[in-house]
Amino acid sequence: MDKRKVKETLLGGLIRNNPTFVLVLGTCPTIAMTTSLSQAFAMGIATTFVLIFSNLFVSLLRSVIPDKVRIPCYIVIISTFVIIVQMVMRRFLPELYSTMQAFIALIVVNCIILARAESFASCNKPLYSMLDGVSMGLGFTAALCLIGIVREFFAGGAFAGMKIPGFPAMEGVGASAFGFITFGCLMALFNFVMQKIGERKERMKKQSLPLSEGVAELGKEAE
Amino acid sequence: MDKAKMRSMLRCVLVLAAIALCSGLLLGAFNVLTYVDPLQSTYERFAADTGAQFSKMADETGKTYGDGSVVYYAVSNDGAYHAFLTEGKGGYGGTVQAYVYIKEGKIEKIVIGDNSETFLSKLEEADFYANFIGKEVGSLDVLNTDAVSGATKSSTAVKNAVNAAVQYYNEGNGQEVLTQSLREEMIAGGESNG
Repeated sequence: MDKRKVKETLLGGLIRNNPTFVLVLGTCPTIAMTTSLSQAFAMGIATTFVLIFSNLFVSLLRSVIPDKVRIPCYIVIISTFVIIVQMVMRRFLPELYSTMQAFIALIVVNCIILARAESFASCNKPLYSMLDGVSMGLGFTAALCLIGIVREFFAGGAFAGMKIPGFPAMEGVGASAFGFITFGCLMALFNFVMQKIGERKERMKKQSLPLSEGVAELGKEAE
Repeated sequence: MDKAKMRSMLRCVLVLAAIALCSGLLLGAFNVLTYVDPLQSTYERFAADTGAQFSKMADETGKTYGDGSVVYYAVSNDGAYHAFLTEGKGGYGGTVQAYVYIKEGKIEKIVIGDNSETFLSKLEEADFYANFIGKEVGSLDVLNTDAVSGATKSSTAVKNAVNAAVQYYNEGNGQEVLTQSLREEMIAGGESNG
């Protein structure tokens, strides 16, 4: 197993190709399910579960599935795992399930899952595909939770359902419009930080180059 | 038809059918593992929502009122709570289930059950349930309550569900079924404990 590829796959979904802040996929559940931290977390974990197993099975069957019917095959695999999530939630978390029921069913058409099946799992080995599912799922969960914390704080003056004394709830802030604004601001912040880190890495790399290579590098930049 | 084309088409159909069959078997197995008897889950829900004990349904067959219907009705063992599982038609995603609890002639609590609505959170934001909670059931006009704008269909389905419980309670249905037999059982239980 290639250690470098494992690291790249794991970090890819979490940071470099974060499905929410960089690829801007799955915006519908991002806005609908981030009114509170608990809902955002549950949605993220449900999506992660579906991502891991749909990626695994798409990868295992990649040589069997004919190209012409690949999308229907992927959808059957994805919807199977979504229904399993529904069954388990209905049995063990009935209250949470009744508030999220419609959105759990909509994971079937979440573009993150179909996109990863099509672009990654269908051309990579099962283990890497599962790792990609873990990293994309956790990246999605982390982004959802971050937006959920901000929205719950402003709309309800609370954190994870617990009221924070001294912070009143703001009327109307729980609406989707504010969700979009929060999403946009956090996306800008995320990309700003990533850009700064990238620039810093580039500078460090140049500083560590031997003198002759460094001069050649500067010359290239001047051209 | 060209033989090669036929073979490729057949392969597509077979692979898709095989995947669908496997997924069906997997779902069947999970259904066995996670299946809950609807009556049992209703008891558990009634008990969790009210904190009271329920040991027998007063009505398992239910009754329909226009677009709403009562599915199950039970009275808590101490007689304080009248608990209903109701359904209301007219939602955006179909039927909405509601658990309605009546105590001392007033609606004590409403909890939404199975549904496919995407705008139910708007009802809570607009304090829609305050139209019913704490109100005397005898004088409640559920169907003429204002719907929440932006979630009119979800409001309508919830209104139909609550209305079924209110109508049922006002007609005195089921209370006569709480019956001798249940009271006798409770008394017998009390004696044996004593």
